[in-house]
Amino acid sequence: MSEPYSYPFELPPEDEIRFADAGAIEGRPAGVPSSYDEGGSTRWTPEAISEVHALAQLGRYQVRGYNTFNKRMPTFDDLTFVPATMTRLPLEGYRESCTTKTILGGGRGTDVVAKPLELDIPIYIASMSFGALSANAKASLGYGASRVGTMTCTGEGGMLEEEREASNKLVYQMSPARYGIDLDHLRRADGLEIVVGQGAKPGTGGLLLGMKVSPRISQMRTLPEGVDQRSTIRHPDFLGADDLAVKIEELRIATNYQVPISLKMGATRPRYDVAIAAKAGADIVVVDGAEGGTGASPELLLNHTGIPTMSAIRAARESLDECGMSGKVSLVAAGGIRSGVDAAKCLALGADAVMIGNSAMIAMGCNSPRYLEDYAKLGTSPGACHHCHTGLCPVGVATQNPELEKRMDPHAGAERVARYLTAMTMEITALAKACGKSSVHNLEVEDLRALSFEASAFTGVKMAGIDRAFDW
Amino acid sequence: MTHIVDVGERHIREINEEIQEAAARGDEIRVVNTLSRHNLGVGLPDGCKISFEGSVGYYCGGLNTGARIEVERNAGWAVGEGMSKGHITVGGYAGMSVGAAMINGTIHVKGDAGPRCGVAMKGGNIVVEGKIGYQSGFMAHQGKIIALGGAGESCADALWSAEVWVAGDVDSLGVDVNVVEPTAEEVAEVDAILDPLGLVDSSRNWRKMVAGERLWYFESRDASAWLMI
Repeated sequence: MSEPYSYPFELPPEDEIRFADAGAIEGRPAGVPSSYDEGGSTRWTPEAISEVHALAQLGRYQVRGYNTFNKRMPTFDDLTFVPATMTRLPLEGYRESCTTKTILGGGRGTDVVAKPLELDIPIYIASMSFGALSANAKASLGYGASRVGTMTCTGEGGMLEEEREASNKLVYQMSPARYGIDLDHLRRADGLEIVVGQGAKPGTGGLLLGMKVSPRISQMRTLPEGVDQRSTIRHPDFLGADDLAVKIEELRIATNYQVPISLKMGATRPRYDVAIAAKAGADIVVVDGAEGGTGASPELLLNHTGIPTMSAIRAARESLDECGMSGKVSLVAAGGIRSGVDAAKCLALGADAVMIGNSAMIAMGCNSPRYLEDYAKLGTSPGACHHCHTGLCPVGVATQNPELEKRMDPHAGAERVARYLTAMTMEITALAKACGKSSVHNLEVEDLRALSFEASAFTGVKMAGIDRAFDW
Repeated sequence: MTHIVDVGERHIREINEEIQEAAARGDEIRVVNTLSRHNLGVGLPDGCKISFEGSVGYYCGGLNTGARIEVERNAGWAVGEGMSKGHITVGGYAGMSVGAAMINGTIHVKGDAGPRCGVAMKGGNIVVEGKIGYQSGFMAHQGKIIALGGAGESCADALWSAEVWVAGDVDSLGVDVNVVEPTAEEVAEVDAILDPLGLVDSSRNWRKMVAGERLWYFESRDASAWLMI
């Protein structure tokens, strides 16, 4: 039996073994584990704790503008293009032409829609109301869109004269609340948009807090000044799809079968919802993904309702294919589109056009690094501001305060919007040409590969390298 | 002269175009053989005088801009929706959403009206000789809904600035309603609306319903107001 091992030296004092030499913290010789100063709970994060504190003090859910902060949403960066190489021939990206002309709402024939929407680019400005945005911002969008041959949409606040004047093409939104409904406005519009939901908060109506219900807004919307306007989500005069078909017929009669009728929905069950909208007679279906923005919403709805835009587009396109309505009904994608690259991915996934909201606002000056002291008053800073709901937009985009609105010069804003749309279009055509397409509408799912299992599973796009879609 | 429009099974576009052309000529219009079709007489112009034989379907007189419209018997959903001016008389019953989002003008229903009568209306008057259905006046912005034969459940639900006047029983009140005692001047205003229709009766015991205004604003410390929405 061997003897137990003994050190060939004397054991040092216990303090020395326990790091009790220079610099160790009294009583905490092992140092401070991160769980002590940062907390280690994945459930009770600092954000979750502050949310509880907020609810405990407010007695209500939190309200804010902008868009989802849910970190689990995929981004379009999870997809990449695979340009032409040996199997396909690219076009000369710097030289050859690539058409961007986009026609929406013409699929049912000129006897139903005499004047489909003919756009020079596959991008237009989303329905954002005068109310959520300032009149100057609305005018900027109108002029900027007109400059590049595309259109804007009124949003739910009714038709603003400044916007009608600025916009060569303007879509009039029929919201459930029907603020300022006017047959003359319907007939002066280049298209109608029936909204049954929005990506930011599908299943819930619009919200405009009292700070933005100015005298002009209250007059246009027939509301008492300064009320917190919480709009309906159900339409007042139709409930289901069969009624909607009758409603669409009514609107065609009212506008003398001249203009297309869009149906805008928040993306929830697009595979079914889109088929129903097409069957009910919509000329254009707008699918607005969960990343879509808004001027104000209960925060929980922004973060926890709806499905990602990328997944909705594929489902919507397959839905139209399956019911034989592709070609008859146009598909527009919206929600979180930040660039021409994102837009090109939407087209490749199956959209005929895209609609941009937040990015157009940012082009106008939202979150731009000016008036820093006013961002600070809101407790935020340029690049992080999401305070559209307060009506205190430091740059005059999302406000009804006349002093703040002056900071949004409609002419400079228009030019920024026009340049941004031009740049986006260049980005789309650059990608399309690299993929060998002479029209941006020829972009297809085969031009994409997924960089994550999730993106592949959401979209059916093949995984990079392995060249197979994630298979259930 | 009176122009007769025969509806039957013809395409709805053709029917409405014939109506619009006759109205543009200034003819009085009589629409026959209506078969309760939807979308008869949409977007009619000011000055037009038109009557519909029998019953009509949805959206009759929708987006009216000043026509005087008479429906002999019953009307389907949303008669006179979005109208900005004019006068509509329904001889029988009216379905859901009479005068939805209407801006101005008068709708007179001689029988009962269905649910959500006057929903989202922005102005004008709706007079129902019978009973109005559940949730009538839902989120009505301005104008008056006057029911002479009672009201169903959830009456005057979530009003903005519109008023709901009911003579007879109210099955139940909607959320955020105040029932107020009308002043003599206010009753006189309502009588002035009823007078041209031959419906004034000084013995009525009115209930005037207006917004409680609690739903107009976020009330962070009143959890009960929150539970209602």
